[in-house]
Amino acid sequence: MTKPKVGFYSVTGCQGCLLSVIFNEEELLGVLEKIDVKSFPFIKEKVYDGHLDIVFFEGVVTSKHDEEMVKKIRDQCDIFIALGACATTGGVPALRNFTPPENIQPLIYHKALEITDVDPSPVDKYVKVDYYIQGCPPDKKEILGFIDDLLRGKKPLMYSKPVCIECRHNGNPCLLEKGLPCLGPVTNGGCNSVCTNGGLVCWGCRGPAQDANFELMIKVLKEKGYDEKFIKQRIDAFEGLKYKEKEDAKKKWLE
Amino acid sequence: MARVVELNNITKVEGHAKLLLNIGEDNEIKKCELESIEGSRYFEGMLKGRRYYEAPEISSRICGICSCAHQIAAIYAIEDSVGVKVTEQTKLLRELFTIGERIRSHITHMHFLSLPDYLGAESGMDLAKTHKDVVLRALKLMKLGNDIIFTIAGRDLHPVSAQVGGFYKTPSQEQVDQLVQRLKEALPDAIEAAKLFGTLEYPDFERETMYFSIKEENTYPMLTGDLYCSTGETYTREQFDEFFKEYHEERSTCNFITKDGKSYMVGSLARMNNNLDLLNENAKKVLEESGIKFPSNNPFLIPFAQGIETVHYIEEIIKRLENFKVQDEEPIKAEVKAGRGVGVTEAPRGFLIHEYEVDDSGTITKANIVTPTVQNLKCMEDAIKEYLPNILDLNNEELIIKVEELIRSHDPCFSCSTHFLEVEFEGKRKDA
Repeated sequence: MTKPKVGFYSVTGCQGCLLSVIFNEEELLGVLEKIDVKSFPFIKEKVYDGHLDIVFFEGVVTSKHDEEMVKKIRDQCDIFIALGACATTGGVPALRNFTPPENIQPLIYHKALEITDVDPSPVDKYVKVDYYIQGCPPDKKEILGFIDDLLRGKKPLMYSKPVCIECRHNGNPCLLEKGLPCLGPVTNGGCNSVCTNGGLVCWGCRGPAQDANFELMIKVLKEKGYDEKFIKQRIDAFEGLKYKEKEDAKKKWLE
Repeated sequence: MARVVELNNITKVEGHAKLLLNIGEDNEIKKCELESIEGSRYFEGMLKGRRYYEAPEISSRICGICSCAHQIAAIYAIEDSVGVKVTEQTKLLRELFTIGERIRSHITHMHFLSLPDYLGAESGMDLAKTHKDVVLRALKLMKLGNDIIFTIAGRDLHPVSAQVGGFYKTPSQEQVDQLVQRLKEALPDAIEAAKLFGTLEYPDFERETMYFSIKEENTYPMLTGDLYCSTGETYTREQFDEFFKEYHEERSTCNFITKDGKSYMVGSLARMNNNLDLLNENAKKVLEESGIKFPSNNPFLIPFAQGIETVHYIEEIIKRLENFKVQDEEPIKAEVKAGRGVGVTEAPRGFLIHEYEVDDSGTITKANIVTPTVQNLKCMEDAIKEYLPNILDLNNEELIIKVEELIRSHDPCFSCSTHFLEVEFEGKRKDA
């Protein structure tokens, strides 16, 4: 069997998702033997410009350059996988969509930038995405799982239960019950509740869970004493665009 | 021969960058511009208006490879502004996981980004075919660094447990003891890795510059302290904006930072040049045996300096953890008050500054972040300018390879460059 041609690509972001691939230290060499890596900007020198079987795409579209790049790569490949929070939900950089313009304006040093900047968006605003690997960063073993499934001709399955399920399995005390602003109930899991295991509330990095009840989430947080501005800012940090998408869709049904 | 060289995508560096060169008939260098083509993310604007304790989580997303350093700098700045004093254990644990980050970052840069240049391979992946033992050793050391971070701070990228006031969760004694054991086992590997980098044939290129690093009392820079310049000046962290000047040049799209109108260097080479006497025993020994003279003005030696630092830091953590007994501690609560705070820490690539202003309700009213790569940018450009005359008889393709090697050796991190901006001037560049 010929090895599938695989490309790893990135646009604007922290490059943590590509690092997550490399940080599979023990399995890395074994995986690399099974696939034909044609592009990996962080560690490979040559720039490949041909057809690819599988693409892992990291980063958020924040400029015309990013937009052209994601469209070009999508056209070159059969299976396109959005890798990580920036690519799947817009991640933290998409917070800019919800930031007052007067906060951003003084940071634009050059007028020309206004022309090349676009509103930060996940890649599915511009291209068709076949699979999403969520998380900021994604679980590094999950990436290997995707590669393994695809190599065996299996359709990778996406996790679709809220973070709370795994958090309870891990025996953590409920941070929400403690009065902390945990977004676990509305956020898709599959992360092994890594943040709450370490004592940190869920910030929603994997995006909304299926049938996430944001209305109830907001009500509970208000009862815990958090004001509207704080709650909105917290949801916006990772889930802002996807939450808005859901709300807009709902409004359309009501029209 | 006059020529314009455009290197639109510098590979094997962290983030996205490009270089524009214009060399005239008489070999005069008319243009040498190094720029990030990373899209702008405006973190400082997004932090404004948020609660003070949210800064570590948000700002960690600036950079994957140095997310720990960003968290720590943010935590220090916030603690400084709201007035929190943390325990000795918290200080030690913070040192631990940022050193874990320095190990994994150094080893990654040395072996996957830099080493292929010297061993004639295209990538670290190809090296695995010709030098499997070297790559396996590197992966083992990277894993050690990552596991230190995971054990102490809950996750290796964008850690979760370190917070304003302390840690949400502390590791068990057993976990700490296991780490010490692994660090002891890893020391010989780190020594071998550093030795290998001591035998590589680095280009013979020296250029004088100022070296800036954190200075700690009686110890090689670990986490935080005053800022020391190789010219002999010392600044407290609050004085950081007194020595440097951040400015924008019309010809460019980036912001630059200089001191007294001159570029300076931060990072491994700067730390080593400024703190040679404070290296631990094995690190000193490997350095001596290599025959390479330090302090050094050769930027190509940065990966070797990283190797020496890795040995030093592993020794240092073993020393500090040997008699450490974990206490069960809760993070110290902040009593919020209005104020300005500055946090400085050594990131793998040099010192990093976070500055915040917080109002009396605990809302961030100003955020300012100065990363190592922004500080090194001018220095890298100057180094390229000075290096070019040595390689002008090469054709464009070979010249690009040499310049890329020089850039790469500086270990730039363009994701981090919050103050870099991308602009494409249509037409204008072509006629340059």
